Amino acid sequence: MSLQQFTGALGLLALGLANGCGPVPPSPATPQSITTTSGVPMIVIPAGSFQMGSDEHGADERPRHEVRLGTFLMDQFEVTHDLFVKAQLPNPSRWQDDSRKPVERVRWREAKLYCNERSLMEELTPCYDETKPGWPCDFTANGYRLPTEAEWEYAARAGSSRLYSFGGVAKIKANGWFADNAGKRTHVVGTRRPNAWGLHDLYGNVSEWCQDVYDPDYYKSSPAHDPLGPAEGIADTKRVMKGGSWKASASMCRASFRKGQRTGDTDACFFTDYCGFRCVRRVTAAEVESLQGKSSPEK
Amino acid sequence: MKPTQHPKTSVLLFGAVLFQSLTLQAGNVREELADSKFRLVHEVYENNNWELFVTSADGKSSANLTNTPDVNELYPQASPDGAKICFLVDSGMGRATVRSLWVMNSDGTGRKKVTDRARQQCWAPDSQTIAFLPQEYPKFNVTDYYTRGISFHHLPSGKTREHVNTKPLHHLYNISYAPNGRWIVATVHAGMGHRHTNLLIEANGSKVINLGIGGCRPTFSPDGKHIAWGAGDHELAVVPIDIESDHPKLGKKVFQVFDKQNKIYHVDWSPDGRFLSFSRGPNGKGDITKPGTYEAACEIVGVHAKGWDIFAVKVARGGSVTIGHKPVYDWQPLTRNGYSNKESDWFLPPSK
Repeated sequence: MSLQQFTGALGLLALGLANGCGPVPPSPATPQSITTTSGVPMIVIPAGSFQMGSDEHGADERPRHEVRLGTFLMDQFEVTHDLFVKAQLPNPSRWQDDSRKPVERVRWREAKLYCNERSLMEELTPCYDETKPGWPCDFTANGYRLPTEAEWEYAARAGSSRLYSFGGVAKIKANGWFADNAGKRTHVVGTRRPNAWGLHDLYGNVSEWCQDVYDPDYYKSSPAHDPLGPAEGIADTKRVMKGGSWKASASMCRASFRKGQRTGDTDACFFTDYCGFRCVRRVTAAEVESLQGKSSPEK
Repeated sequence: MKPTQHPKTSVLLFGAVLFQSLTLQAGNVREELADSKFRLVHEVYENNNWELFVTSADGKSSANLTNTPDVNELYPQASPDGAKICFLVDSGMGRATVRSLWVMNSDGTGRKKVTDRARQQCWAPDSQTIAFLPQEYPKFNVTDYYTRGISFHHLPSGKTREHVNTKPLHHLYNISYAPNGRWIVATVHAGMGHRHTNLLIEANGSKVINLGIGGCRPTFSPDGKHIAWGAGDHELAVVPIDIESDHPKLGKKVFQVFDKQNKIYHVDWSPDGRFLSFSRGPNGKGDITKPGTYEAACEIVGVHAKGWDIFAVKVARGGSVTIGHKPVYDWQPLTRNGYSNKESDWFLPPSK
């Protein structure tokens, strides 16, 4: 674990304690949503624990193990063309026919840049230090960042331990855009059913960048509290990508499915047209209360 | 009569003949370039600063043209008559950077700013008009296709005008003017309904033709009969084109440059159309510990490209060339220090 990750883990642990992360709280019966000051709907993901990975599928998903996380906010939808353009970033997407679609062909660095831009728009402290090689993440900053893969899977499962939070394979078509129903293209976000916590498109549309370095053996030694992924390498390592996409098979849409994806950061042109993302940010219980007070009641 | 030589002797003799052959041909090419009055202007990152250098066609002499330790100059383009050079200046840092378009005489005198938030410029054939791509949004981004529209600046009048069809022109980069003034060739990424392709854009009209070739950074030959471009990270290619046609089409590749290990980018034609120059170096994403640089693919303007140098290759012989570890008769390095030498542009300085 790098010093950055160690201090990050300490920070997240402190946030967890501030959230009363001792006994595992029950999953909320109804999702709590807020709207950020820049107008982005997010879901309050409660602190808690879950069984991460799978013993029955890919070797990199083993072993299934318990992970405990603090409270955080996650975007209700994948980042859209509208949001990308609002941040004055060049939209790299292959499909430009509807600005409510998720951005794709996004390099890992561009996703991080968006996180920082949104942090600045909302007067939060950016998580990524753009002055240092690789833009290291400060997990203790209050700004936006990419989810860790543990955060992503926890949010996708929404309290469920099944392959898909909504049930079996037969129900994917109603819950996500994947190879069998997407028609070889992305779709407007939020046009499939949300999961139990109100998050849309985790099981399809575009796959989503996570913060973690991809290591197929990581689960064998990962910490139980707020795992931040393997130590950062100097080389342009693969990063974890989670979630199904318009191009993915049903099996690739499983909550525990993980893929190591080249970042595209050294490519002048990045053509991987299923790479999208959404943002998270860590919050204290007091912040959640404050944010809920600022959000309009219907949201 | 059977040869009586020992097999090892035969091998040695064959090797000697081959070596002599290559050496002789290498000499010919070097002499051609040594006799040339052409120069190349290009970016160099030296002493924590981007500068523009002018290098002789054979690479034997090179001089710092700008000598401005506090100003970052990039992306030089020499006018067709060789009298002027337009270039970019990056001021400020990070997202607050302002990228500006400047022009000066090709001897480095008479610097003058043209406009802010502009990039990827090229010269019109009249050597008096600079075409450039306005930045997409006010906030800086290093991405090459971060552009919207095309504008033209006429130096004698000082007036700038937009392309007659500027509104739909989106996410273009690396524009190059046809010598007949009728067309502009450019790469488009995620814009104008295209995933990524190279376009022929009518310079004074609304016609846009998809050339249907992948890759990027196309440039017209001085006679307008060919286009050279980066067909991939490791390939440069040349194809014929008929720019007098109302619907120009590309022919088949007539010349290719390959490099299996390093990236090869930023191809440019010598004024006589006999040579190509290009930038060559290892893959990378820059080194943002160096002031005035950004983190992105190292071929992008403003990204430090460690180990990159300018090379020249003889195009007239046709066929293909593979860049290897040692210079051979049909290609050679013009710079050797690896100081992020990129974006070369040939020109013939006006006689004094």
